[in-house]
Amino acid sequence: MTRFAWLQSRTQTLIAAALLATVAVAAAITGVQLSHLYSSLVAHCSSGCDLAIGQFLSHDTFMQQALEILARAVPVLLGIFWGAPLLAREFESGTYRLAWTQGVTRPRWLLTKLAVGGLATLTVAGVLTLTITWWYRAHDKLGTTAYAVFDRRDIAPVAYALFAFASGALIGAIARRTVPAMAATLGVFVFARVAMSAWIRPHLLTPIHETLSLQGAGPDAPVHLGLGFSNGGPLRVFAQGDGPPNSWALSSHLIDGAGHQVSSGQMAAFFHQHCPNVNLQPPPSPTGPGMVRGTAAGPGRACLAQVAETFRVLVTYQPANRYWTFQWLETGIFVALALAAVGACYWWVTRRTN
Amino acid sequence: MTAAVETSALGKRYGRRWALTDCTLSVPRGRVVGLVGPNGAGKSTLMHLAVGLLRPSAGTISVLGGDPGSGSAQLARVGFLAQDSPTYARLTVGQHLQMGQWLNLTWDSDFAASRIDQLGLDLNQRAGTLSGGQRAQLALTLAVAKRPELLMLDEPVAALDPLARREFLQTLMEVVAVRGVSVVLSSHLIADLERVCDYLVVLVAGQVALIGEVDELLACHHRLTGSRRDPLRIPANQLVIEESHAEKQSTLLVRTQDPILDPSWAVSSVTLDDLVLAYMRQARDAAAKSPECGLVVAR
Amino acid sequence: MIDFHLEPASGVPTYVQLVQQVHQALQLGLLEPGDRLPTAQQVVSALAINPNTVLKAYRDLEREGLVRARPGLGTFVVGRLPRTDPAAQAKFRKSLHAWLRSARDAGLSAEEIEAIYRTAVRDFCADEGVA
Repeated sequence: MTRFAWLQSRTQTLIAAALLATVAVAAAITGVQLSHLYSSLVAHCSSGCDLAIGQFLSHDTFMQQALEILARAVPVLLGIFWGAPLLAREFESGTYRLAWTQGVTRPRWLLTKLAVGGLATLTVAGVLTLTITWWYRAHDKLGTTAYAVFDRRDIAPVAYALFAFASGALIGAIARRTVPAMAATLGVFVFARVAMSAWIRPHLLTPIHETLSLQGAGPDAPVHLGLGFSNGGPLRVFAQGDGPPNSWALSSHLIDGAGHQVSSGQMAAFFHQHCPNVNLQPPPSPTGPGMVRGTAAGPGRACLAQVAETFRVLVTYQPANRYWTFQWLETGIFVALALAAVGACYWWVTRRTN
Repeated sequence: MTAAVETSALGKRYGRRWALTDCTLSVPRGRVVGLVGPNGAGKSTLMHLAVGLLRPSAGTISVLGGDPGSGSAQLARVGFLAQDSPTYARLTVGQHLQMGQWLNLTWDSDFAASRIDQLGLDLNQRAGTLSGGQRAQLALTLAVAKRPELLMLDEPVAALDPLARREFLQTLMEVVAVRGVSVVLSSHLIADLERVCDYLVVLVAGQVALIGEVDELLACHHRLTGSRRDPLRIPANQLVIEESHAEKQSTLLVRTQDPILDPSWAVSSVTLDDLVLAYMRQARDAAAKSPECGLVVAR
Repeated sequence: MIDFHLEPASGVPTYVQLVQQVHQALQLGLLEPGDRLPTAQQVVSALAINPNTVLKAYRDLEREGLVRARPGLGTFVVGRLPRTDPAAQAKFRKSLHAWLRSARDAGLSAEEIEAIYRTAVRDFCADEGVA
């Protein structure tokens, strides 16, 4: 049965392998070039590195974009094109009546097909993610934080791919029609990823809360402070705190002395009391949206100084050293979902009498 | 000797519709059994139950004494040809033979190769480009090469042109002659099966309307033609299956083991076609199943 | 070796047709003692009929003493059809002719005569246990 399952999926796997090889070769060549560029531009720069780093980061944007697209697309594509048709096609074309009346039992048939396809998925996703992670190693250190590219590096995408494949197979077994199964697999995948990123992942580990003083706010500081009007509304304070370097900032709020979040009413009262010379309404002919930063006119600066004395910023974040913990958690969850899909698929195909 | 297929109050339900109801039958081994019935009678359902593609909603079924689809051993004993001869369109003929070798416990690769050769099929041709008759022959080769004791064929010739149909049956009968397999084949046309079947099961609306050896069935049914009369005056040992009365003439289809002694009847034999149609009409009119010949016979 | 053919619409059972065709072949001299009949496989391959039918026909012929099955070798013709004496045949034809004339004189139509004849032959054969 293993040989037959391979025979059935041989063509599509070899095509994927060929494409993967192309990508890997391109990445290898350009990646080595990047290495040289890094050595020459960045490694030895002592001052004025910003320019050199900027040059480095903007090199070969085509490859950057291509790899980012692949990193996002390949896991779900594997689910749609390998997972969904795996069983749906057999039911749709009626060939299951041929396959189930040879000499292999239904459980063995199913598990072998899933194993062969799953292994191929794992291999393709693994090699691709490895390649991309390697290619981006310098970029990620210089131009972004690890958390910002969390779902396109290291091991998480492999788990996404396995989940997409397994859920695709399950959906295909239930739907028994290939094209609807493919569409539903896409939908389920998108929902799962969004749900995880937005609602679940931030709360997997208790985040760290840190209160930052607004004194010394500035462009290079971890806190930023400003006054301005947004969308034609009344005067507002813009206060934002970053977590430590490379951390994942979840939220930042302006808080008062007691530690409570400052409401707009509180803010309006503060302006009345402490910022009498500042216009609370936007100018009639707006010079444009945006903030008036600390370099504004005198009354504005005095007001900001008052704000900085009175209020502070509460930053909620996940620290950098938890990155790999999150990777393992994410992988574990999606692999568990994949296994659950396999179990449900097994039950559906072998127990259901139709 | 265990029966080829034996059922007891077998029922199968799809949602709320019962495709088979209280179906009890037993067909012997070593025969070519014809399973006849109108579309929707439950023939495919019965076949699928027999090869383990479906599980019963009620009652039991045993095939060659074993539980259908219960494991590799049982699967090896039964060869199945599903309706419309499903094949993997993208795989070649040769790859189908490889599949047979890989997925079956016993596999007669010499037989398979020589059959494909005889049929003139190209090993490298994709199954999706074969004609209907060629696909049916390929599927039959696959089913026979695994050396089963029983072959079940679900409407194998329904979609074939007359030449392909004849060639298919020739191949099938050759296989029976050489290997002695039992065969159950279904059709909604008795004409397809008349030449080859020596045992008959008529299935109507999910129930058995008629069952028995073809020779016996033909021998104990007669058409009586004579002057118009009341059929209640027929002796008790002759069972009237169907009757039609014209102004001056009555025609009866009767079932009896005894000779017809009344000289006022002209007695003629009945074709299998007429017989099957009569029972299908009778079953459709929901008459009760009758005793004597035509009953479930276990051999 | 003879080729069998089938008349499906004739109403005559298949195996009877095969037996009759062997009889005819013997009568016409197409088959002689020592000739081999086609195997069941060959017959069904040509006609697409049930092999049991062929075996039944051959068993009947064996019972009539016309053929013998030799395991592994085939079924061979061993006998001849009993040829009735032409003189005896002529005598029976004459008495049948007389019977027909008297039936005609009694006012019976051709169909009636045929019906009576067929019924009589069938009942007679049934009594004798001959197919």
